[in-house]
Amino acid sequence: MVGNKRLYWLMIAGLSIFAFLWLVPILWMFSMSLQPNNLLARTTSNTALGLIPIPFTFENFVRLFTLGLTPRWFLNSMVVAIGMTLLVLILSSLAGYAFARIPFKGRKIIYPLVLAGLVIPEQAVFIPLYTMFADWNLHSSYSALIAPRLAVPIGVFLMTQFFRGIPVYIEEAAELDGANRWTIFTRIMLPLSLPAMTTLGILTFLYAWNDYLWPLVSAQSKEMFTITVGLASIQSNFAQSEGLGRVMASGVIASLPVVIIFLIFQRYIVRGIALGGGK
Amino acid sequence: MQSQSTQSNRSSHFSSQSWRQNLWLKNRDSFEGYLFIAPFLFVYIIFLIYPFFKGIWISLHEWNLLAVAFNPDAKEFIGLQNYRDMLWGRGMTWGLDNLLGWRLLGLAMLAPIWWSVQRGALRSKAAIWLSLSIVLLFGVILGIHPGDDGRWYDRRFWSIVWNTLAFVLLTVPLVTSIGLGLAIALNRQSPIMALFRTIFFLSQVLSVTVVTLIWQMIFSPSQGIISNLLQVFGLEPITWITNERLAMPAIVIATVWWSMGFAMVVFLAGLQEIPTERYEAARLDGAGPWSLLRHITLPGIRRTTTLVVILQIILHFQVFGQSHLITRGGPNDSTQVLVRYIYQTAFRDSELGYASGLAVLLFVIMLIFSVIQLRLNREEGV
Amino acid sequence: MKLKLIRIISSLLITALLGSVGLSQTEITLARFLGDCEQAGTNIQEAVGEACIIQSIINNFSEQDNGITVNTLPTDWGNYYDQIKAMYAGGNAPEVHMIHKSRLPEFASIGVITDLTEDLAEIGVDVSDWTDSAIEAITYNDRIYAVPMDSHANLWHVNLDLLAQAGLVNDDGTPILPSSPEEMLEQAKLVREATGKDYLAADFSQFPIGVRLVLSLVWQQNGEVFTADKATVNTPEVRLAVETITNLFDAGYADPNLNYADSQQAFLDGEAAVLINGTWVVDFYDAQAKDPNVALTNYYVSDFPTLFDTPATWADSHMWAIPSNLKRDDPEKYQAALKLLAWINDNNLDWARTGHMSVRRSVLASEAYNNLPHRSEYANTTNIVRDVLPTVKYGAIQDVLNRELQAIWLTGKSIDDALTDAENAVQDLLR
Repeated sequence: MVGNKRLYWLMIAGLSIFAFLWLVPILWMFSMSLQPNNLLARTTSNTALGLIPIPFTFENFVRLFTLGLTPRWFLNSMVVAIGMTLLVLILSSLAGYAFARIPFKGRKIIYPLVLAGLVIPEQAVFIPLYTMFADWNLHSSYSALIAPRLAVPIGVFLMTQFFRGIPVYIEEAAELDGANRWTIFTRIMLPLSLPAMTTLGILTFLYAWNDYLWPLVSAQSKEMFTITVGLASIQSNFAQSEGLGRVMASGVIASLPVVIIFLIFQRYIVRGIALGGGK
Repeated sequence: MQSQSTQSNRSSHFSSQSWRQNLWLKNRDSFEGYLFIAPFLFVYIIFLIYPFFKGIWISLHEWNLLAVAFNPDAKEFIGLQNYRDMLWGRGMTWGLDNLLGWRLLGLAMLAPIWWSVQRGALRSKAAIWLSLSIVLLFGVILGIHPGDDGRWYDRRFWSIVWNTLAFVLLTVPLVTSIGLGLAIALNRQSPIMALFRTIFFLSQVLSVTVVTLIWQMIFSPSQGIISNLLQVFGLEPITWITNERLAMPAIVIATVWWSMGFAMVVFLAGLQEIPTERYEAARLDGAGPWSLLRHITLPGIRRTTTLVVILQIILHFQVFGQSHLITRGGPNDSTQVLVRYIYQTAFRDSELGYASGLAVLLFVIMLIFSVIQLRLNREEGV
Repeated sequence: MKLKLIRIISSLLITALLGSVGLSQTEITLARFLGDCEQAGTNIQEAVGEACIIQSIINNFSEQDNGITVNTLPTDWGNYYDQIKAMYAGGNAPEVHMIHKSRLPEFASIGVITDLTEDLAEIGVDVSDWTDSAIEAITYNDRIYAVPMDSHANLWHVNLDLLAQAGLVNDDGTPILPSSPEEMLEQAKLVREATGKDYLAADFSQFPIGVRLVLSLVWQQNGEVFTADKATVNTPEVRLAVETITNLFDAGYADPNLNYADSQQAFLDGEAAVLINGTWVVDFYDAQAKDPNVALTNYYVSDFPTLFDTPATWADSHMWAIPSNLKRDDPEKYQAALKLLAWINDNNLDWARTGHMSVRRSVLASEAYNNLPHRSEYANTTNIVRDVLPTVKYGAIQDVLNRELQAIWLTGKSIDDALTDAENAVQDLLR
């Protein structure tokens, strides 16, 4: 028992070191965002390898909010990620319910055809999609940023699997009470599927937030950049060595809200991913 | 049921309507089913199926991005020429010694396959197919190469495919093993473990450009934290990004840091599904920690592992941001990956036709992996 | 979704408001690289650096009472042409955009940019004031497709203090520059022995500054890397040019691993005696040299030295173009775009303050231009500028050369293999 306990604390110590190293990149970014630009131009390791922001300044953040487009990009990302998440949830739960529970004609053919879409990566279709949105004159709009991603069938797959797992007697009881299909779907199945919806919602949100390739080709005016593309545009700039602190501040701003959402909802997020992955 | 019967009672006054009602009842499932799937099916066809086939169609053309945008007739149908330029060369020959090491290594995979058959872990039918593909790929196809006077039509293509493959082959095992190790270590109910889980998952929520921003700086020989640390010990800074041997490891490290959290969480979920009784029973039998790991934990999450590996392979084959922003594909193309090549061919060189061909090829490669994985999965599931 | 509603309502409100005041503004969009300058303002004379000078010129025009507002889309350099093409093909082409001389054929050959030949006089632009080389730069098939803004070339940016320590400064304060590859190696050795610093820094690992350097050295031997239909990369001239630079790396007098930002930093930190970079940074380095926090203090900028027979240095040109459909689809915006180009042309002197060479004879002859800081130090550059032959494949060819040169310098690929591969690849592009 004593040996076990020592082993346990040894493991905790090892994990602590590893966890600290794991955090260093984020800490460093955060610390640099709080140091003056002209200092960073000379050295990035002023105090404790630069991990502690001394001398300290808020100027990078102040300038970020008064100048430049970072807040706008952030807003765009939010609109795109939330819009996409909601729409994916609606489309996937509707279709998933039908594939799982409604014995409509052709279901046995259509469902495999939908699943077949899982093997088509975004990169295999982004060029034709680009020409399509160009023909429709729809680039640089929220709809162009959101729409293509709605077609990915992973959500339908997850929801179908989930609905299949719900015992049939629940629906049968409701049907006996005279509930029609829509009522069953909205009143019974949707509330039951909340865990699955959380999984899907979070996966979609993370994907939308991180997506880089499609916004890079579709968002053609700086006002329509998502934060991902916007950040990319300032990091490959000639001016980087002149404004490191501010670039890092943009990185912090881009990350902070997602990190906060993650910290608050992490139990749901982890449970959700586990649910999706465990299947 | 009640509402339906009152409805049919009311409509029985009109016989034709009743007939219609019957038809409606009979087909109601189909009607409603299609109503439910219609919204998804609509976007699915418009934004995935149609573009997929349009991509193949574009790949059969000489299609200049700018020229066709201004004049739709400026494209030229050239059949499979883009694919020929991609995959073939002039003066091609077959040589026994081409890529010999890799090919022998590939052929050596036949041994574990047939060993699995012997053990009964793999059905012989599947093994025959697998062996045939391996012999064809490693024995025959990889022997093809340009002769002394010949060369590939696209000299970059195969090395870019190889780079992408190398990225996947380096990243997936690292992400999987670190994710699994951490999941096993952190699979305990205690606040400090919860804190660790939070920390290790945290990097996963960052966007790719934040990750590249940080790691670009970390790897910088003049300003990076690694060189700053090395300087403290009076060591020379490492030129990660411009060194041919270190550039790929550099983007792999950044990727592992970024995407390990997801694997860890899926593994944690898999571990939860192993019934605790099994552990207790084994412990009662006097099994130590290693024995528990080998005989209960690992077999218990085999399916989870397969899932993690499939998801990772598919995800990392699509790598773009890390290569595009950290190393810009360099030095000397050593970190140039397929998706970046597609992007540059389409938008820098304006060659949509060739780029679409590359995209179709990316699809085919990923399809092969998906099929292999699904097959293996099915075999193991039996 | 709510946001979109708010946006629509607010834009309606703004239109209603503006309408009631009776203002009708023509808004045109301008795309450029050079990076962002958020604090540009409208005071052109006070601006420093490429981004801020050009943005203040644009802002000033936009603020004038001319009924035209300009919406600028500044882009980072790395993705500029990818994005411009994506915008064109996506039907979102900006009304005015920057373009290089070297890229003009690619856009003009498929007719996506406007033939301005007839319309320039209309808005008061005097074509005869432009230098011959400027007119050559904007011409494709005998038609004019752009308004030129500068000629920019590779220069030698010099840290005089370091050279002085190595005894490489003349009595008149000018640096002693090498006149042959051997002499360059000797000088590099002197610098190393006297100061311990690198002789030369440049971006050899990222942007194609190294390509431009090699091109200059090839031209100095009267060579070319390609002609109209033939790649001539694998030639003794190119080999000698590459070896000249490789020798510096091998002897440890220069570091091939530096990228643009790193090489600039090394020069400003006093870690390298010479930096090879363009005209666009002269005013920036001049300002940095005056900053007491910056190690570089005695800054000098010189013409690219002649290491072989013929003086030559790589050059290109920044210019402005208008999409070809604008004239037909929206004459009002077309006129506004032309006016903006005329305004930029009017402010050519201020653009030249960056260090670029003017394209206007009147400016070149003016006292103000010739009195610009360091201008006299590289006065001869304008006479020795060279560029590759115009080709629609410029972007791809430059990329091939950049890749193969990096392969030699960074990954130890043999010069033979790299030049053979480069020649084949360039030949494929030319076919």
